[in-house]
Amino acid sequence: MNFLSEVQLESKFGPFVAFEKNLGFIPNLLRAQTHLPRLIEAQASLESAVRLTEGAIPRVQKERILLGVAADRHDTYCMIVDSKVLSSLGISEGQIDDFLNDYRDADLSASEVAMLDFCLKLSRCAPSVVSEDIGRLRTYGFEDKSIIEAVVTTALAIYRCTLSVGLAPEPDFEPRKLAKLPRTAIPSSGARSGGPLNGVHRGAKTKGPYVQAPYRSSETFAPYATLYKTHGFIPNFFSAQTLRPDLLAAEVEAVVAILLPEDVLSRLQKECILLAVSAANLNSYCVAVHCNLLRGLGMPSEEGDQIAVDHQQSELSESDRALLDFAVKLGAHFSEFSRDDVVKLRTLGFTEEQILECEAVTALNDFSNIVQMGLGVEPEFEPPFAYQQNKVHLSPLSDPPTTEGFVGSHSTTAIEDLDASLVVKTQAGDLEAFEELVRRHSRLVYRTLLAILGNSEDAQDAMQDALSRAFQHIAGFQGRSKFSTWLVSIARNAAIERLRNRKNEESLDECVLEGDREFRPRQVRAWGDNPEQAYSKLEIRQLIERGIMALPAKYRIVVMLRDIEQLSTDDVARQLELSVPAVKVRLLRGRLMLRELLSPHFAASTKEPGR
Amino acid sequence: MITCDEFFTELGDYLEGRLSPEVREELELHVSQCHACYVLYDSACKTIRIVTDSGSFDLPPSVLDPIIDRVIAKLRTERA
Repeated sequence: MNFLSEVQLESKFGPFVAFEKNLGFIPNLLRAQTHLPRLIEAQASLESAVRLTEGAIPRVQKERILLGVAADRHDTYCMIVDSKVLSSLGISEGQIDDFLNDYRDADLSASEVAMLDFCLKLSRCAPSVVSEDIGRLRTYGFEDKSIIEAVVTTALAIYRCTLSVGLAPEPDFEPRKLAKLPRTAIPSSGARSGGPLNGVHRGAKTKGPYVQAPYRSSETFAPYATLYKTHGFIPNFFSAQTLRPDLLAAEVEAVVAILLPEDVLSRLQKECILLAVSAANLNSYCVAVHCNLLRGLGMPSEEGDQIAVDHQQSELSESDRALLDFAVKLGAHFSEFSRDDVVKLRTLGFTEEQILECEAVTALNDFSNIVQMGLGVEPEFEPPFAYQQNKVHLSPLSDPPTTEGFVGSHSTTAIEDLDASLVVKTQAGDLEAFEELVRRHSRLVYRTLLAILGNSEDAQDAMQDALSRAFQHIAGFQGRSKFSTWLVSIARNAAIERLRNRKNEESLDECVLEGDREFRPRQVRAWGDNPEQAYSKLEIRQLIERGIMALPAKYRIVVMLRDIEQLSTDDVARQLELSVPAVKVRLLRGRLMLRELLSPHFAASTKEPGR
Repeated sequence: MITCDEFFTELGDYLEGRLSPEVREELELHVSQCHACYVLYDSACKTIRIVTDSGSFDLPPSVLDPIIDRVIAKLRTERA
């Protein structure tokens, strides 16, 4: 029945030995991944930390979560494995049958039933999980450590189910007992009135993350150091799990083994898979993160946005679009997935290794989507505007709670609509409409130019160039980004051309991971309470303008757009086609350099005591 | 308590108000006990406030309008 072929691994292969020891057998789900042993290692690392270790939740309870989720998804393969494991832990066949018939009527404690209610809600409809669900678990005495473990165990169940659908391994044991079971082993949500499974609680979401997250330093916590290398920052996804460093470390290990190697699929392809499947799972958080990572890998932001909205309309190659079709079906619409999907990828020239890796990336994505929604991890980036617009149509839930955290999206929509009608008129040749558009955004354009070029004469000349170019090329504007973003990108290119023509070229590029030492403060005298009061408004303005103009261009433009133009960090990143972490680094450096320049004017004249 | 290096790593997000309550508490504890980091944080906050409120580069329409007028006039001529 296997969809993919297998190869022989040596019998001493570490993860196989560990499974043999812990479970008494090596699951065929692992054997089906022998083309890429590092994927088996990734899964083994997750299973070992989440499932096989006694944690905050008893081992048996975790096994029942795995079995419950598998049964709810009608995943026969995982049900057979998980029943066997439960039975090896001393649970009788009769008890397992009772559990599968109805876990609420299987002599489990009220707290375990509440935990299973939560885990099934999370696996079945993750976007509907709200902080009240976590509150309910707390009333049953569960502490945050246990709650994280329950969320991650559910995520592991989904990871295994996604792989089992994609690989279709042979059952490890005879499905004798399970054949008698009713089609719907776990009662559906509608059967329980008043329970937490009754759909989306609109407006009920309070801000996440739902659990405590103690501080960890990248200097002492190895997984953070790894993440700095792989992502350039610590995604909130991980920092929300610091209460369970063991689980966090296993997840980072899996990420490194599955996502980083480029020998099979490229990192770009994998990020596209993560983006498309997260979008299909309505996970705004992961969409925003992967859009950002794609931008960091050099993909234009409009292209990333398009993949989130509809990858079929993107500029990707036909085979890459087919790869995303495959991943989205497996990750988000698994009941429609079949052997034909695997055959189709083979026909397009994908190898066994590539198909296998695509499945593992998809499984990892589903895992992350579940953890993010279960813990209410707050986004560090805004999801793309176009995705937010489209999501309403994609969503089976009329108002997914995850969109509520994004402040200001309504006002953006209004401005966008206003621009859109003027853009259409301009595209039809209406110069007055163009004039209106340009006046609306002229300050933003001018300040961008001033920030790049560093003097007003050049900025004014460049502005004329940029506006003429914008009118000439307006037909090519397809509305995938905001009009203002498009206009600024034209202005930016015009400015960069001018910069290149200068003799002493100032670069806008740099490696964002370079050291911070040179940006450490030298002025350590304290400032007074309102130091600006000693100066007139005009003097302050001149001081600031001179200070900003004295910054290197790459910092000047970020400070200008963030602190003068007051764009959000995400918008600055979008305007400059930089990743958000790169913007954050430049912003902090720019601000500290400016602080250094202003310090002689604003530092208190009296010395600090003891200095 | 966290070190000055760790404080510096988180400073950008601290200034942007993007930290979780737990991390923010760590940083608040640090600035309450480290004078150099207190001065850095306090003056950086004030820098941002002064820059934001300064009205810098706030151009009167008299600067930008003529540029836009020139561009529109040129485009109109080209079309004619």
